[in-house]
Order: sequence, then C-alpha cells, then structure tokens
Amino acid sequence: MNIAFVRLEFKRLVTNRRFWIFSLSLPVVLYLLEISAYGKGDVPGTHISYAAYLMCSFAAWGSIHATLIVGSRIAIERSSGWQRQLRLTPLRPQAYLAAKVTVGMMITLPAPILMSIVGRFNDVHLSSGDWAKLVLGTWVATLPFAVLGTLLGQMAKAETVSGYFGAALLLLGFLGGVLMPTTSFPDWLQHVSKVMPSYWLADIGRAAVTGISDLGTAIGMLAAWTVVLGVAVVFRYQRDSAR
Amino acid sequence: MGMEKTATATHESAGPGTENGPGDAAIHISGLTKRYNERVAVDGVDLTIHRGEVVALLGPNGAGKSTTVDMILGLTRPDSGTVTVFGRTPTEAIRASQVCAMLQEGTLLEDASVYDIVAMVAALHAHPMPVAEALRRAGVADLAKQRSTRLSGGQKQRVRFAVALVGNPDLLILDEPTAAMDVATRREFWESMRHFTDEGRTVVFATHYLEEAEEFADRVVLMRHGKIVRDGTVSQIKSAASGRILRVVVPGGDLGQLLKLPGVLDGTQRGDRFELKCSASDAPVQALLAMYPRAHDIEIKSMGLEEAFLLLTSDDAKPPTNS
Repeated sequence: MNIAFVRLEFKRLVTNRRFWIFSLSLPVVLYLLEISAYGKGDVPGTHISYAAYLMCSFAAWGSIHATLIVGSRIAIERSSGWQRQLRLTPLRPQAYLAAKVTVGMMITLPAPILMSIVGRFNDVHLSSGDWAKLVLGTWVATLPFAVLGTLLGQMAKAETVSGYFGAALLLLGFLGGVLMPTTSFPDWLQHVSKVMPSYWLADIGRAAVTGISDLGTAIGMLAAWTVVLGVAVVFRYQRDSAR
Repeated sequence: MGMEKTATATHESAGPGTENGPGDAAIHISGLTKRYNERVAVDGVDLTIHRGEVVALLGPNGAGKSTTVDMILGLTRPDSGTVTVFGRTPTEAIRASQVCAMLQEGTLLEDASVYDIVAMVAALHAHPMPVAEALRRAGVADLAKQRSTRLSGGQKQRVRFAVALVGNPDLLILDEPTAAMDVATRREFWESMRHFTDEGRTVVFATHYLEEAEEFADRVVLMRHGKIVRDGTVSQIKSAASGRILRVVVPGGDLGQLLKLPGVLDGTQRGDRFELKCSASDAPVQALLAMYPRAHDIEIKSMGLEEAFLLLTSDDAKPPTNS
C-alpha cells in the first residue's frame, strides 16, 4: 500500500465541499424529518424508540453514501483519462483499487459519529461503550460497501455513474430497511430485506442500542457480501486487463 | 489496464559496454502492426531508438504516431510485432519508472492542486525528482497552489509536462506536447526539454510542427499511413525531398496531360497557369517544351521543408526508397 498516494487521495476528498454536503448533511436532514414524522414512540415489535432505531439506520446510510461516492470517482477517473495517466506510473491497477477501498473506509467514519451526536441531541441515551460499538461497528461493517463502490466504479462510465450510484443507494436504503423501518414491510419484503447488506449494517448499530441482536448472522452476511463483491471486482478487473 | 505479452528480450538491463541489440536500445520496435477494424493504423513498423537520442515522430494526423506511442507505452496491445523499452516489455519499463510520457489526451484531477497532482504521481514512482524541481522545470512553480480547473489550456499542458518529468525517467515520450501552447510558452517548453536532454536522456516526441522537429530533434522519423516513410536527420529528410516547383504558362494546356510528364508528382491549374511539383527539374521541363512548345514564363524553384514534408506525406507520394 502506497501511503503517500492514499494520503493525497484522502486529501482530495476531505477538501471537496460537495462530498461533505451530500454524505453528511443529507442523512441528518432525512433523520430529523423522519423522527418528527414517526413521533416519540417505539418501533412496533421492538423496544427501541424511532429516534434510536433511525439513528442506527442513517448512520449506516451515511456510511454507504460516503463509500459509494469514493467508488463512483473510479468511473470518472477512467472516463477523464486519469487512470490512463496512472498506467504510466509503477502503480499496479490492483493497488489503485485497494487504495480506493482504503480511502472509502477512511472517509466513512464521520457519518456514524455525526449521526450519534445528532441522536444524542434527540434523546438517545447509551453508555459510552455502546456509543463506541455503534460507531466502530458501523464503520468496520462498511467494508462490503467500499468494495461495492469500487465495483460500480469499474462498471459505470462518467455519464452513467450517477445513475448506478443513485439506484444502488435507493435499493440499499429501501430494501435494506434503512430509509424506513422494515416493520411496516409486508412479509415477503421483510425476507428480501434480510438478504440486503444494508439491513445488516444497520443491525450492527442496533445491536449496540438494544444489546440483543443476531451479531453472528450480521457478521456472516456482511462477510459473505464482501467476498461476493470482492470476487466480482477481481473478475471485472481481469476482464478489463484482457482488453 | 493491460498486461503486455510483447517481451522478446528478457535480460534485465544491458550495460553500456554490451553490443548493439534490443537491450542496448532505448526503444526497439520490430514488425509492429495494429489494426482497428479494417483500418491499419500501424503497418509493420521497424524502428530502433538509441539511448540519448532526441527523435521527432513526424507525420500528418492519422499517420499512426499516437498508436505507435501507445504501443511503446504498453497502453495498446499490438496485433503483431514486438516493442521493447530498454530491453524489457513496456509494462516492465514503466514499473521501473524508466519511461514516462505526456499523452495527447492526458488529464488532470479537478479536485486537487497542481502541487498535489504532481506529488501524487511522484509518490508512485521508483526514483522521482523533487516535486518542486519538476514544477520549476515545467515552468509551473507559480501555479503550485492552483486547482487544475482554473488553468488555461497551455498551463494545463505544462502541468502535464511536470507530471511526466517528476518520474525522473531515462526515456520521455511526448505526444503532441505543445498543441495548446502559445509561441512564448512553446519556446520555454523546448528550453526546458533541452535541459532535460542535455543530461543524456532519450526523448521521443510526436508532432506535426516541422519547426519543432527541425529545431529540437537529432533525428526525424516521418510516418504516413502507419508506415515509416523516411528516417534520418532533418537535412537528410530535406534532401530526400529535393524536389522542384515548376510554374509555367501553357496556352491550351491540360493538367491531366501535364501530370503524365516524367518527374511530375502533383500539380494545380488556374486558367493557363500551372504549378507542378516535380521530383527533378530538367526532365519535366524538357518534356514540357517538347509537348507544348508555346509554354512560356517558366519559373523553377526548390521546395522548402514544409513542401517537402507535405509531398513526402501526401497520398500520392512515391513509395519509400531509402534516404
């Protein structure tokens, strides 16, 4: 791993105003809107308040958003010719992709931190250990999404990447029960939901809030997604280099 | 992102004392061919460029210069033939930072400063030169803090030059490096290049500016329709096209007939006035007077490099005889 390269890639992102606006403020705004719509009660069938449940959801969604932004830049860099420029350096393509995943992970941490602070101001009370579990758990569990972002970046072109990006974000958000609690979903949709990696990402956060969760299943599902998406990235990479 | 399968010479790097061979040359190209659908972009090119040479790859658009450059850099895979760079495959040479390039459609990151862009590329190279030095040599030290989106076309090109320089390569390849530069910037650019080549490094640049080839290259490789038409020094290229321009008034003359005269390569007609491009001066004039005794106002002058270039690279130029 080329540390100087990763550092400069990171700097590009954190100095980008648009990145902060979309990946951080959007989840907060949606969160505040939803908790005012759902009110003070608990999510049906659980003992978690909407404020706490949705805090976990939007911490997850904000993280997903950040990783997908990083991934989508791969498509832009390919279309703009920057990747071509990088091919004239000793940087190997797999190291380039690894750097993108790394930066995707680095940039993910602010979202769960910010959502925790916002949650705290909306009467969510957790022990400091549970806050740490929420933030760090959500952060680590974002790995499959950093890989997914990379895959989208490999598949899309600059003109189409925002379409892929939006579709992925909405599908992961709705089907994974991140944008709204799955408790209002019909049965079949709840089943679909439990296959989505985003559901399990939010569940990692919820585990910190409730103390009860199927953590083993969550880790297993997210690991499986990481492997499947990782294989797709490698497959795609090999196809690209065969050209 | 491609891997190359074009290695022929596999020895690591040939020392200065070794015999002339692919390993000793900066670039060795043999039988290089590339087709895009039906069109042959590069057609069986053989070329050896020695260490320390400054070579201009000259030719009109579509001559195959950029495709050749892309294959030298391992960005495009040849259909047949081989390329070695310092005796290695292009990809190996790039991995060792022995070759860097400034491509025609190169781009810069939009969300990074000039300094950071160059620093990012420097971080990837095996033995980079200091970022500040690359910026200074490329004449963009004063732009270091600027974002690339705010730069003019010529400034962007100089930053791309800094990106190529910072890798500190033994071989630098430039594809139409001065296309967007104004005259003053162009002069500065070549000044900096001269400094670079004074250090004994090899430079290959593709251009269609004759003056650049004439002024900066030790050697000119002239390409047309994917083939090398001429290869030599500028003066050799000039003498190879030692043609004459014949201006004459021929009452009742017919261009079609005149073009059939021996030694006439090309011509234009305006009323009774004809301008004929000829490979020599005597034979066409004698034949002309034999056919049209009333021809008058005969004027003969030799071709400039510009005309020689156009003639050598035009569609109906004669097939290459060696210079």
